[in-house]
Amino acid sequence: MLPPTTVVVPLLFGSVAIGSGAAILAWRERPNPGATPLVWLLGGQSVWATCIIFSLSAESVSGTLTWTKLGWIGVMTVPVAWILFALEYTGRDQYITRRNVALLSVVPALTVCLALTEQYHGLLYVRAASVTADGAVVAEQGGLWYGVAAAYTYLLGVLGIVPILGLVSSRATAFRGQSAALLVGITTPWATNVLYNAGALPSAGIDPTPIAFAVSGVAYLGAIRRFRMFGANPAPTWRAKEFLFDHIHEGAIVVDGHDTIVEINQTGAAILDVDVDRALGSSASELLPVSGPIQADGGRDFLTIGTESTSQSYDVTVTELTDRRDHTLGFVFTLHNVTRYLQQQQRLKVLNRVLRHNIRTEANIIQGYAERTADETAKTIKRRTMRIVELSEKGRDAIDLFEDAVGEWNQSSFNSLVGDCLDGARDAFPGVTFELTRPTEDAPVPDGAAVVVNNLIENAAVHNAGSDPRVSVSAWVEGDRAVVQIADNGPGIDEYELDILDSGTETPLRHGSGLGLWLVKWGTETIGGSVDFEPAEPTGTVATFTFPLSGSDGRTPAPRDG
Amino acid sequence: MASKTNDPAAHADDVASRRGEVSASLAHACARIKDVLTYSSAYLVFIAMIEVLTVHLVLSLPLSPAPVVVGLVTFSVYAGDRIADADSDALSTPERSAFVTRHREALSLLTAGAYGVAIALAIAGGPLALAITLLPGGFWILYASDWFPTLGRRFKRLKQILVVNSAMVASAWAIAVVGLPLAFAEATVTPLSGVVFVYFLVDTFVNTEIPNVRDVEADAADGVSTLPVVFGIRRTRHALYGLDLFLVAFVGLTLAFGPLTVALAGAILVGLGYALVLAWFVGRTNAPGRLAIAGESKHLVVFALLLASTPGI
Repeated sequence: MLPPTTVVVPLLFGSVAIGSGAAILAWRERPNPGATPLVWLLGGQSVWATCIIFSLSAESVSGTLTWTKLGWIGVMTVPVAWILFALEYTGRDQYITRRNVALLSVVPALTVCLALTEQYHGLLYVRAASVTADGAVVAEQGGLWYGVAAAYTYLLGVLGIVPILGLVSSRATAFRGQSAALLVGITTPWATNVLYNAGALPSAGIDPTPIAFAVSGVAYLGAIRRFRMFGANPAPTWRAKEFLFDHIHEGAIVVDGHDTIVEINQTGAAILDVDVDRALGSSASELLPVSGPIQADGGRDFLTIGTESTSQSYDVTVTELTDRRDHTLGFVFTLHNVTRYLQQQQRLKVLNRVLRHNIRTEANIIQGYAERTADETAKTIKRRTMRIVELSEKGRDAIDLFEDAVGEWNQSSFNSLVGDCLDGARDAFPGVTFELTRPTEDAPVPDGAAVVVNNLIENAAVHNAGSDPRVSVSAWVEGDRAVVQIADNGPGIDEYELDILDSGTETPLRHGSGLGLWLVKWGTETIGGSVDFEPAEPTGTVATFTFPLSGSDGRTPAPRDG
Repeated sequence: MASKTNDPAAHADDVASRRGEVSASLAHACARIKDVLTYSSAYLVFIAMIEVLTVHLVLSLPLSPAPVVVGLVTFSVYAGDRIADADSDALSTPERSAFVTRHREALSLLTAGAYGVAIALAIAGGPLALAITLLPGGFWILYASDWFPTLGRRFKRLKQILVVNSAMVASAWAIAVVGLPLAFAEATVTPLSGVVFVYFLVDTFVNTEIPNVRDVEADAADGVSTLPVVFGIRRTRHALYGLDLFLVAFVGLTLAFGPLTVALAGAILVGLGYALVLAWFVGRTNAPGRLAIAGESKHLVVFALLLASTPGI
């Protein structure tokens, strides 16, 4: 017997054709994310529609009831497949474990069992309700478990829409197109089902929900073909964020507004020596030795963990997380291991003391002994010991540069900085003629620039052994940068020295003549500037040093890693 | 720019040239149609529908959507198989593989849509018709897809197992060709329908092994065990002789002791004679593709003879 000739029936046939065709296409898209659950979803929809057709075309009441009961297999497959699809497609496949799938399938399996055995309990009854004009029997369903199954279905439907909604706000246009198609696909059947259950659809008692799933099929096909649903897949985006969070070298701990740790990466757990599962849900103030209320955004402190010999120090940065209305949602603590940096800083302090105090003291003693004699040897000894003192002072300048590099520069007046540098040079090299063109406008500059300017002027003067040695210094401001140009009429810088500076390293066999040019290089790098050397006409060198002005607050943040 | 001329000789040349262009265009169009029919398995659709019509005729069943359903499923399964194997087929059938690769998207949509429509049509025939319609697709998944091996190491593509592969193909199509008209007509299984089933089962098995001779190198490379791969071409030819002769004996016996009519037995025996001749060419022809098509075309011969011998048609 053919089913009744209402408009619903041909639509049911169409929904099977489209649903099963789309299922085949989805099958061919495996193993792309979401393809396999989509096969189950479309398969379930097709089974559902097929059972409705068979129930309508059954020649006996018992046949109608049997097919209606069997239809529950398709009915309950759809929501489970939908939630799995939504999770897998959006990259949350870590939740799709056998255990979770089994748990999700408990209510559907129970529903099918209760439908097939309904005559013994009536929890989910299936009975003949009416007969259409064509003589087809229309089944009626209800009971306590019917409500449970319906609620469970709607719940999974809504839960599945949530991650898909995230794609709508995605910056990738392709994902928005896909998700819009998916939303049309999923909301149409759910809305139809709600309207049908509310009695708002004139469907002659026949559930038209599977027909609406035909619309889903078309939407999914559109998503597959037009928007390349499986070709441009958002799954990696979600996983990439997780991957970055889990694998960054810094420890990361997310704390909610109630001092509860809601997320922690492996590095963070290892630093705090706790298990990730145990840390989640714990009080942040108990695990993190943060004194007082949390200071967000720039609040930085060192955290030392472990005993003296194995202790590790961490730079703790606290960043506030806010919603669109700037309400505090929580905080992100990042723990950056600075043990090596602190150790290096400690060593620099010791070296600084040695260079600043011990070498000068020893040199003074040598000079004192040398002054007891008055021959040429004594003069040589004095000159050479002065050279040792100068080198130690340069070494100290280098250490100051490295120490300041991890902090913040103090500011100086650009005008006075170049003036002071030139005054020092005039004292040190009285035989050299210096000319200074001061900047027309003054501006705050990092005082670390003085090391560079001093050494460039010294370099221009010290090697200038001509009859009329001259060094001219010009300074000006260009936008947000300061420029100092030092020109001399000396023999020029040896290319060999510049090559070594460019290579950035020295070897025992290949090295420069001193520390001056290295200080220029390091100082330039630490304040974020640049220096160019050009030959001058007829002889000499023009060095141009360009560097950023200080910020309006008078402090220049230094590049942390130099 | 073209210029007119009243020169009769030039006019004749022009006409001849146009005729040449038209015939070249026609030849090109025919070649393209032939390519589409051959490479997309569309010719198999026609032959499969003829097989179902043969069953209708032999079992005196009323016309039903069964031929259309079988045709759609045939197209879907065979073209789908060619899409799946396009890469590995590049060795044995490079032109077909290139055609399938070039039209992969369209073929994919068409095959999926064809099976969807076939399922919807089969629902009108009832649960049994639906189950039979799903059978070739289900068998194809077990037979060719890479899904089965993912279940465990003990499982491998059934396509790779000797005899099982061809037996599965033959069973699926024999059940569909004979069972679907019966299901649509809600007719009972009779001894005659059993005889027809055995005939199509063995015949489809033979027709499955004929193209395997052409594909012997590709199948061996793909780890697929077929008769030519395992036993060689000569022994395969002998096996096909044996199967055709078995059918001859079977038809003779059922004619003598069973429900087979003389007209039907005669048509089948002519077809089997044709098949034995084709079996002789196995491994001895330079056009194995045409041999495979000729093997399938045997059903056209049988159907034509049946039509001619059936009074009132």
